[in-house]
Amino acid sequence: MASALWRPLPVFMLTIRQFFGGKSVWVVAVLAFLPALFGMIYWFDSGDNPPAYFLAENIYRPLVIATLLPITVLILATGALGNEIEDATLPYLTLKPISRLRIVFEKLLATLVVSLPIILGGLLTTYLIVFRGDAGESESLSFLWALLASAAAGIVAYGAVFLLVSLFVARALLVGIVYALVWESLLGRFLTGLKIVSIRHYTESILVGMADDRDIALTGATGVATSVVVIVAVVIAAMLISTWRLRNLNLE
Amino acid sequence: MAAADPSRPVAIMSDTPTIVLDHVSKWYGDLVAVSDLSFSIGPGVTALLGPNGSGKSTTLKMICGLLGPSTGAITIDGLPARGDSKAYRNLGVVLDIEQVYPYLSGREFVRMNAQLQKLPDVDAATERALAIVEMTDAANRKVGGYSKGMRQRIKLAGALVHDPNVVLMDEPLNGTDPEQRAHMIRLMWELGRQGKTLLVSSHVLSEVERFAENIIVIINGKLGAAGNYRTIRERIDNHPHIVRLGANEPRKLASALVTLPQISSVRIDKDGRVFVETGELRDFYRMVPRLAKEQNVRLTELQAADESLESVFSYLVER
Repeated sequence: MASALWRPLPVFMLTIRQFFGGKSVWVVAVLAFLPALFGMIYWFDSGDNPPAYFLAENIYRPLVIATLLPITVLILATGALGNEIEDATLPYLTLKPISRLRIVFEKLLATLVVSLPIILGGLLTTYLIVFRGDAGESESLSFLWALLASAAAGIVAYGAVFLLVSLFVARALLVGIVYALVWESLLGRFLTGLKIVSIRHYTESILVGMADDRDIALTGATGVATSVVVIVAVVIAAMLISTWRLRNLNLE
Repeated sequence: MAAADPSRPVAIMSDTPTIVLDHVSKWYGDLVAVSDLSFSIGPGVTALLGPNGSGKSTTLKMICGLLGPSTGAITIDGLPARGDSKAYRNLGVVLDIEQVYPYLSGREFVRMNAQLQKLPDVDAATERALAIVEMTDAANRKVGGYSKGMRQRIKLAGALVHDPNVVLMDEPLNGTDPEQRAHMIRLMWELGRQGKTLLVSSHVLSEVERFAENIIVIINGKLGAAGNYRTIRERIDNHPHIVRLGANEPRKLASALVTLPQISSVRIDKDGRVFVETGELRDFYRMVPRLAKEQNVRLTELQAADESLESVFSYLVER
């Protein structure tokens, strides 16, 4: 499979093999397609809501953005480098004439190449289930783009941040879950001032801004362009700190 | 803490050194792992010998840049290994790591090393390295199914794939069977003969004899001794060992001990403990119980007197 990619991207290919060699990809797939099951509820009880509202307010924001998306990305991102530290295999990569930034970049790339299609595929399936006959309408499609763009932004941002976390703490998976559930959900909700330092706020802002639907709203939403800029900045900062950390890490 | 001490021995093993350690120390809080270590080695096979926990692995990890020294400087071919990834083009490292990516085949692992080294002909380099360690036949099997000895060899192939001039190996003979051991030792000789610099750690003196021309002995993180095998061996063998004995009748025991030919001196301290100096430790240990029985003395203690060079040397010899 894609063996030509080994030469330009050896760390990336290694990480892809690592993901598929273990159970993590399958756990991620199950979590990513869970919303599709919830989507079927709409067939039986739409609550007189339009499909976009149901998908955004009953599934995407409370379930996917709040929990499933961070956790699925978390499983892959913390595994990408964290497992190498845990198994002490990282020296196979760091004792080579390649830059630490490139190791971080390829590890993040592998995380995204696996998590983006799986999570977005799960969302697309959910969309098709909820919208059924209306899925091809132009109005529905613009909602779909908003949904996918918002999720993609969240995946990239969480991927970079959790990769960074895994370089600082041994139990990155646990710390990440606490971060996703406590920080992003509770603090962000009750202390509105903290919103600006929560990835969730910007992913939701992208959804709300792009969907352009009166019923799908977020108080204090940031503009789409600004949100994208913030997420890009977060990713760059996380990668640079990861590189610095990898350079100074003492490997026992 | 651990300031450079000019009286500390500096081992200069070569006129054309490739690896140079200059007053290197490493500590973790209060724990000193390596203390003011200075040596330089050149082409050929050099062994880094010392008991487990003496600081061998820490030293090797500092040389290859995985650990930063607390003080001091290390260079390989004039380049610092830490902070400059270019140094790895000329350096191959076999660490004492259990794991090799179990989901890759042996060939894939070696290929990956070749690709990470950005070699122009990855395939040729991979096959050459697999042939050197005689793993060509098993190369398509997953590393997860390899024995420990096979993992050691595939790790070595990965470390040699770019034909480096400097090779570091941490306990490479651990977990190998006699045949693999013989092969590994032949390989080290061959690499040394080609003019490469090999630094190989071991805690077994008799094993080191088979592959190393020069030996650096590390004890408690300090340079214990350095030189060629014969010099070290003589120094270890001729070094008097001090043994402490306790008995219910120490005076009776002491006067009997004086008659033993292996003993050069006997003394008793004020607590009634007997200290014996002997050049032939093994014989002495064999004789003492018999002697005690003949004299009807009950032995309560028999051990090397301190954790100094002597006891470490005896540890190395007794293996």
